Amino acid sequence: MRVELRNIHKYFGKNHANAGINLDIPSGTIQGILGENGAGKSTLMKILSGYFYADSGEIILDGKAITISSPSDAIKHGIGMLHQDPLDFPPMRLLDNFLLGREGGLFPDRKVVARDIQTLAAQFNFSLDPEAYVDTLTVGERQQLEILRLLWLGARVLILDEPTTGISASQKAKLFETLRTLAGQGKTIIFVSHKLEDVEVLCHKVAVLRSGQLIGESPVPFDHKKMVEMMFGKEISLGDRYPLNAGGKVLELKNLAVEDVRLHMEDIHLDLHGGEVIGLAGMEGSGQGPFIRACSGLLRPVNGRVQVNGHDLTGKSHHIFKRHGVSFLPASRMEEGLVPGLTLTEHFVLAEKTQGVFIDHAKGTKLAEERITSFNIRGTPVSTVESLSGGNQQRALLALLQTPLSLILLEHPTRGLDIESTIYIWSKLKERCKQGTSIIFVSSDLEEILQYSDRVMVFFSGKVTPPLDVATLTTEKLGQLIGGSGWNNLNSGKSL
Amino acid sequence: MNRHNLLKVMGLLMIFTMVLAACGTPTAAPTQAPEQTEAPAATEAATEAAVTEAPAEPFTFGILLVGAHNDQGWSQAHYDAGQYVEQNIPGSKMLYLENVYSGSPSYPGQTASQLAEQLVSQGAKMIIFNSDDMKDEALKFAQAHPDIYVLGPSMDWTWKDGKNYQESPNQIDIMGRMEYGKMMAGCAAALTTKTGQIGYLGPLINDETRRLASSAYLGAKYCWTNILGKNAADLKFKVTWIGFWFNIPGVTSDPSQVADDFFNSGYDVVLSGIDTTEALVEAKKMHDAGKDTFAVAYDSPGNCDVAPDVCLGVPYFNWGPSYVATIKSAMDGTWKEGFQWNAPDWADINNKDTSAVGFAKGQGLSADASANLDKFIAELAGGLNLWTGPISLQDGTVYIADGAVATDQEIWYLPQLLEGMEGQSVSQ
Amino acid sequence: MKKNVWVNIGFQAGALVLALLITTLILAAAGAPPLKAYGSILNGAFGSSNNIVAVLITWAPLLLTTVGVLITFSAGLWNIGVEGQMTLGAIFATWMLRMLQDTNLPPALIIILGILWGMVGGALWASLAGALKTFGGVNEIFGGLGLNFVSTALTIYLVFGPWKRPGVGSMSGTQPFNEALWLPTLGTGLSPWGLGLSILAVILVYLLLRGTYFGLRLKAVGKNMKASYLLGIPTWQYSMFAFLLCGALAGLAGAIQVESVYHRLLPNISNGYGFLGLLVAMLINYQAIWVIPIALFFAALNVGSVQLQIVYKMDSSFAGVLQDLLVLLVLLGQGVRERFLGKA
Repeated sequence: MRVELRNIHKYFGKNHANAGINLDIPSGTIQGILGENGAGKSTLMKILSGYFYADSGEIILDGKAITISSPSDAIKHGIGMLHQDPLDFPPMRLLDNFLLGREGGLFPDRKVVARDIQTLAAQFNFSLDPEAYVDTLTVGERQQLEILRLLWLGARVLILDEPTTGISASQKAKLFETLRTLAGQGKTIIFVSHKLEDVEVLCHKVAVLRSGQLIGESPVPFDHKKMVEMMFGKEISLGDRYPLNAGGKVLELKNLAVEDVRLHMEDIHLDLHGGEVIGLAGMEGSGQGPFIRACSGLLRPVNGRVQVNGHDLTGKSHHIFKRHGVSFLPASRMEEGLVPGLTLTEHFVLAEKTQGVFIDHAKGTKLAEERITSFNIRGTPVSTVESLSGGNQQRALLALLQTPLSLILLEHPTRGLDIESTIYIWSKLKERCKQGTSIIFVSSDLEEILQYSDRVMVFFSGKVTPPLDVATLTTEKLGQLIGGSGWNNLNSGKSL
Repeated sequence: MNRHNLLKVMGLLMIFTMVLAACGTPTAAPTQAPEQTEAPAATEAATEAAVTEAPAEPFTFGILLVGAHNDQGWSQAHYDAGQYVEQNIPGSKMLYLENVYSGSPSYPGQTASQLAEQLVSQGAKMIIFNSDDMKDEALKFAQAHPDIYVLGPSMDWTWKDGKNYQESPNQIDIMGRMEYGKMMAGCAAALTTKTGQIGYLGPLINDETRRLASSAYLGAKYCWTNILGKNAADLKFKVTWIGFWFNIPGVTSDPSQVADDFFNSGYDVVLSGIDTTEALVEAKKMHDAGKDTFAVAYDSPGNCDVAPDVCLGVPYFNWGPSYVATIKSAMDGTWKEGFQWNAPDWADINNKDTSAVGFAKGQGLSADASANLDKFIAELAGGLNLWTGPISLQDGTVYIADGAVATDQEIWYLPQLLEGMEGQSVSQ
Repeated sequence: MKKNVWVNIGFQAGALVLALLITTLILAAAGAPPLKAYGSILNGAFGSSNNIVAVLITWAPLLLTTVGVLITFSAGLWNIGVEGQMTLGAIFATWMLRMLQDTNLPPALIIILGILWGMVGGALWASLAGALKTFGGVNEIFGGLGLNFVSTALTIYLVFGPWKRPGVGSMSGTQPFNEALWLPTLGTGLSPWGLGLSILAVILVYLLLRGTYFGLRLKAVGKNMKASYLLGIPTWQYSMFAFLLCGALAGLAGAIQVESVYHRLLPNISNGYGFLGLLVAMLINYQAIWVIPIALFFAALNVGSVQLQIVYKMDSSFAGVLQDLLVLLVLLGQGVRERFLGKA
């Protein structure tokens, strides 16, 4: 099926997520979509698969303009989307999972459906038992299941969002083989990824998105360097750099191994000095999260040692880390960082040391007023945190930090913030550094990483570079590393 | 909706169901309602009239019913008696509250004496506490309200010769001599059973229930040996207690289950000792399934109507005459506190104006058995006293010496079941 | 701020009016002239000093269970097990009184020990639900429900078994305590001590939730467990504290019931006060300051609606229907307000 997108626009508030995108995908094509996080890839795909309405623009299938009002509407038109996170399945049988998506038929014939599944699975050499429970499947198997389900529902256009994250090499090979077969049958495949290699190996052509715009298209094979430039933009301005003010060792990681459901990282070594800033770069979900949590006592490492100011805190709880001057500010401000429903004053009172049993409300209000002024928060002491804008929430989070601190760990400290807030927040953080506090932060903004870090660690599906001196890095090199290429040129892969 | 909210909503729903369940009345639903009360509208109109324009010298009395007013058993017998009073004493009016017992979900946290206050605030001059469950509350209320008359069916507070005598000048305690009724019930069962096994569906365990179960046994044994000429040792008589006067799900044993267990283990006649009709209902179920099962009902004369075919009869209370007498005495100033234990009118035990206790035969009783039962009743009327020694208690101790006749106190305060009966004398 | 408060009150008032409207329809459908019926409810609740006393007697335990669940609600917990906790309070109090009633200890001391032991019992039972939640991952709703059933079973066992009245086997309850061990009462059974303790508990909980670090942390834990942990609050310990405090208050309610109202243990001693407390807490939107009037209103409804049965032969569950309706409509009103006017 031929898919044409005409002048698609989508706004989220002021954010122009898709700005006039035109794309033409002939039948039987495997189309790659590249772009950094927030480039607008997912938005575009969600518009195509019925999760969002476009604010304007047309979707044309086989020459006919259509409107798609919901995901189930999309599948009726033959468009099916595989999700980025296939882990979110309820604990039910494969068969029921199939039946769920189908309309009509109050009493479906389970036998027929089971036979359908098996026939389809055989076609692609998948071994799936219709009576097995979905939650017993691996990520790769779930993907296979999801592909079968969409085909069974009549999909002629398959959209896959980051499908190679978290699956094994052999599963990946099988996935690619399946996709090629489907394309051979005339189905249209849209493959969204940030992995240059995958796109290059699989796709017929590739489109690059950046800041909501279609930057360019290219046939495959392509020039990696050019691609990275297209993805991240050429001009990256390095502003004034703060001189590294190296103090004693604040954090030492020895032979650290960390894992979560999907990733396993090992042999991580790091000596972090007072006042130093380390940026963690990489596509989201490449292991920065588990790493930074292991540094703060929120995740127990599977191997190795974590030392803070010379104290071995391996396996200790976050509250012990906190006592040694480690603070963690999570990415999801409202989910993990702040308490919705409580006021700014209440937050500051909670973060301070307790004095007696009763709260001195006058003192709390005074404290809140001070912090509001010094952190330039637009709000009052009685504002609840959810009533603040994102930038002000982030400022409030920073304002909660105690003094003194040895180490501040931050996830995406400036995500979603305007330039002004970003600069303000970093000025506050750099003040801390001057006082000897070290910082480790996660960001998907390469400029931010290069701008503020002294050293950079790059994460790519379970692999970590050693801390690289920021002076040796360029946007291009960082972009390549993030995309998974150029790792062989590093001095060593992992043992540092 | 995320998971957290879902749980909240579930929790909320659960609380609502709990609260509603707690509010619902847990009485056994009457199987079919042979509603013989007058049109409720009439009573209501009367009530309203009383509130607005009081007629000359009305006498309002309130009854606290332990069960439902239409339970076809104990509480209905009292409710019917109240209507009998209304018919026989002009200007008298009944108020009532039902399902009044300790911990009743109908009145969360309210005690019987508080509920009595509510009746008083509607003008009641006499309160009838119709269950031993309200015994302490009745006395407490009587002593706190010397101006209100108190009637305590089945209680013994004002029995000078009783064990629990208390000074309470505005109180009369009343009981019918149901021992006779129970003897007739036992006799009917003995005359009917083919397996020689009689089950007794007992309520809770106390003096009264031991007395009545034992009387039934005495009647059964007498008819088994003297009329049928069989060996006493071949008669099995077993009592199983459910723990209260009626089924309270989750608290008492389920009487339907207890009755079923009797029928399924060779007992072909079950005597009901509880306020509600489960024994009859289960007997009918078994009967319809082809078993030869029967039941003897209790408390209220119409009780057999629930399942006429399997009903051997019903020993019942006829509270009307004693209520009328008591209320009249309160009205005309001849009130005399004390304890009344009223016998059947042996001239006609089913005379509803004179007899405190009666026995209505059921259709399940064979003509033969019926004739024999009549013979037994005639003997009782003629002075036969089955509470005559030798009578031994369940543990073998002699209770009434050979030839001696039990005193009222010995009968009223029976400490155990009798020798020959199976079942608990006290709860374990 | 100010405006929001008035909008809030407007919505509550609207819900109240709507609930009254619906109940009026129900009354009319049941054949009771609504105005007179409301009049008779009022009369039944406040018509005489005895009726007022009855209202106050039901008010006291309701206050306790309500402020108890306010604590757990603050910590984000649905402590449905409060019924069982009250029951255990009653059992423990009875236990202490039975143990000591034949000793030479002064009765006042025994009574106080009974109350304290009742609070311990309630707290212990609550800690079970808390432990199930914290260490076993069992949602407190299910854990609480299960423990409610167990507490009922335990009461029945005790009433029919070890603590039965001599010679009696009835669910009417255990042997009443010596009269010396009854909490002194005024008039027809109002215990000033029970009522005083309940009101004191309301004040303490109000202060706790409003003015203390403990209360603020509890609130933070209830609203965002993860953020609270990162802020340095020992989160599971605080959940546990909430359970313990609520259990102790429910236990106090149970102890007061056995020591001042029934003078013995009986099945269903908790009498739905726990669930009613949850309803009150929801109705007042977890604002401790409203506990006093709303709980009084619910208690008055319970007592006053007895009149409906006497006068109009209506089912006594009318009070429950009105209470449920109120809560439902108020929650609905909150939902509507949040949807159309944004969160307050």
